[in-house]
Amino acid sequence: MKASLTGQACVGTSTLVGTQAVPVEVQIDVACGLPAFTIVGLGDAAVLEARERVRAAIRASGYTFPNARVVVNLAPGPLRKHGTGFDLPIALALLVATGQIPAELMEQHRAVGEVALDGSVRCVPGMLAHGLASVADGHALFGPCQAADALRTLGGLRYRPLESLRSILGDRTEKAPQNRHKPAFPEPDLSDVAGHTLAKRALEIAAAGGHNLLLSGPPGSGKTMLARRLPGILPPLDDEERVESAVVHSVAGLDELPILSGSRPFRAPHHSASIAGLVGGGAPPRPGEVSLAHNGVLFLDELPEFGPSSLQTLRQPMEDGRIVLVRAEGRVSFPARFSLVGAANPCPCGYLGDPVRHCTCTHAVVTRYRNRVGGPLMDRIDLALDVERIEPELIVRMATGEDSSSVAARVRQALEVASAQGRSRNAVLSGAALIDACRMSPGVADVVSMLARSCHLSGRGVTRLLRVARTIADLDQASAVQKHHVIEAVSYRKQES
Amino acid sequence: MKEKAGQQWEIERGAPGYPSALEDLSDPPARLYGFGNPALMSTDSLAIVGARRATPYGLACTRLFAGWSASRGITVVSGAAIGCDCAAHEAALASNGPTVAVLPCGADVNYPPSAYGLLSLLRVHAVVVSEFPWNAPPARWTFVKRNRLIAALGRALLVTEAGLPSGTFTTADFALELGRDVFAVPGSILSPESRGSNRLISQGAQPMTDVSELAGALGRETIPETFAAVSGNQILSALRATPMRPDDIARECVMDIIEVVHAITLLELKGSIKRYPDGRYGAVKVT
Repeated sequence: MKASLTGQACVGTSTLVGTQAVPVEVQIDVACGLPAFTIVGLGDAAVLEARERVRAAIRASGYTFPNARVVVNLAPGPLRKHGTGFDLPIALALLVATGQIPAELMEQHRAVGEVALDGSVRCVPGMLAHGLASVADGHALFGPCQAADALRTLGGLRYRPLESLRSILGDRTEKAPQNRHKPAFPEPDLSDVAGHTLAKRALEIAAAGGHNLLLSGPPGSGKTMLARRLPGILPPLDDEERVESAVVHSVAGLDELPILSGSRPFRAPHHSASIAGLVGGGAPPRPGEVSLAHNGVLFLDELPEFGPSSLQTLRQPMEDGRIVLVRAEGRVSFPARFSLVGAANPCPCGYLGDPVRHCTCTHAVVTRYRNRVGGPLMDRIDLALDVERIEPELIVRMATGEDSSSVAARVRQALEVASAQGRSRNAVLSGAALIDACRMSPGVADVVSMLARSCHLSGRGVTRLLRVARTIADLDQASAVQKHHVIEAVSYRKQES
Repeated sequence: MKEKAGQQWEIERGAPGYPSALEDLSDPPARLYGFGNPALMSTDSLAIVGARRATPYGLACTRLFAGWSASRGITVVSGAAIGCDCAAHEAALASNGPTVAVLPCGADVNYPPSAYGLLSLLRVHAVVVSEFPWNAPPARWTFVKRNRLIAALGRALLVTEAGLPSGTFTTADFALELGRDVFAVPGSILSPESRGSNRLISQGAQPMTDVSELAGALGRETIPETFAAVSGNQILSALRATPMRPDDIARECVMDIIEVVHAITLLELKGSIKRYPDGRYGAVKVT
């Protein structure tokens, strides 16, 4: 097709606000005048750089870049637009406006993608979010080939992967899935861990009730190893959870395929993580570790080493399952419903109570270290236990115990008991709902008050005790909480040093 | 003797009220500063010291011996340090018996800060004494000097729990130099927290295994031994031998971990066992 010198066109696209893709219209006007290429509509530096990429890509793909005055408007105007995903819609709009590709091609279509100088189409973060927005509005989506594997899992999306700008006129019939070998993402198995029977039991309870867990023990005692195995005994992600979690990963520019294949996310940020890194932030606001751990496990190793203010910011997501970032630009909300596993050394040097190594910490230092994790966070941790360092020669001789799948089966049964009683996550039960859920006989209630007295439990302590007891009863397939459930539950309470 | 505000006093060496036991030292302090009734320092006494980072076992033994001594009118001399020392003073106060705290700082300084409440009680109901002037802060070297006063003020020295290395050794050395008897409470040979006290025994300290033995050693009327029926709980007997974690108990006693957790919780509620700061459980009672 020969390029005309003037014309107008409009191509749909979307831009990210949090994990949502908001529809944006790329309007283009090619008019007579001094040759120029302007982009208006509150784009950031990456959006403005699209001019150079698009100009080169159009030439390299064998099309003509008009020697005319080109104005691109990104509507709606007040919305700030970020990133390189506008390259593809701008290029396509230009080709439509100059009559180099038929306008019908872009009807009911959106386009998102970055173009390289040679005209090839590259991936941008958040392709899944763009895909979801296209599904919601009933549009088909042009985008990079790399995102095809992930986007094919979205039901109802007509995705048109483009190798390069050239291929828009070529064969657009969707190729059969490239039958790429779907990589397996094996979860580490519980049977890899020798000994630690009590810790494995606690993991099982944490998985069945969604409880947060604190492991303390000397370095090398296997805290990380245990925590890493929690996702493997949680039930696999259901379809809705899979998409929710994958979108967060996609927006953060991380690989979403393991999530889409059903693995629960496991995030282990280092204790030097900033608040923005932990709960999200930046401009534009990007999801933090709590959101990447959505529907999965957030593992905080060396919990007392995290900054107190960072730990305090975890309170809102732990309460609401979401984190709301309030910025000058507006409010952005990310999902953040996760199970927290904290790990701590018993003292700063780590060897308190170790049979071999000598601990060098004074009593005052140990107390200060243990008090570093503030009360509000500790109040949301239902299970606490000590993990011992097992001598290497014992590890070989110790029974390894069950594998993850048999524990996962019990967790699933416990969740069925819970859902039959109309409960979802025991860890969020409180007040009257918790008392109702426990269905305690008066005798058991007496045991609870006796325990509360002799263990000096606060009101919150009793709440945590009952939540854990309810989960233990679920694992026992019991409809009501009984005495032995409560007695086991009280042993997972946090203890004074 | 010069009375200061309230119960505060200063005693020069040689003045009435200056404890004669201190004259055994090669360098008796020239002046003592303190609170309470200074006559308590000249009565029959027993110095009790032990580890700061004491295990429930060490604390239980300290309470046992300190409580018995104080209830028999034997003044319990210790250093108000965290752990065994505080437990000794507390047990003596609880049995309304006499006790003397020797501080490594001015007698009016609250050190260690966490013993603030205990020190305030001791100043009113017992004796807090120091050879350092009012307001003197504690320093590295003052602790060893203080230990020599503890050793001298006690007619005998009882070490309830000590690991290795341990500050109680300097106190024991001073006590031996002064010709005082040294007793030690034996612990498990497997427990690093008892290595120091066991070594003292192998070096000649008299092992203290119950209060009648202490009574005999202090020249008091011995109590006829009674052998209380000891319950046959398998876990409890295992924990009496050595403190263990639930996982170890399950392995040693070949029990299911959930059963073990039950049994431990019940024993802990009964007060027979206690949790150590590192997650092990150990017996704290004979019966």
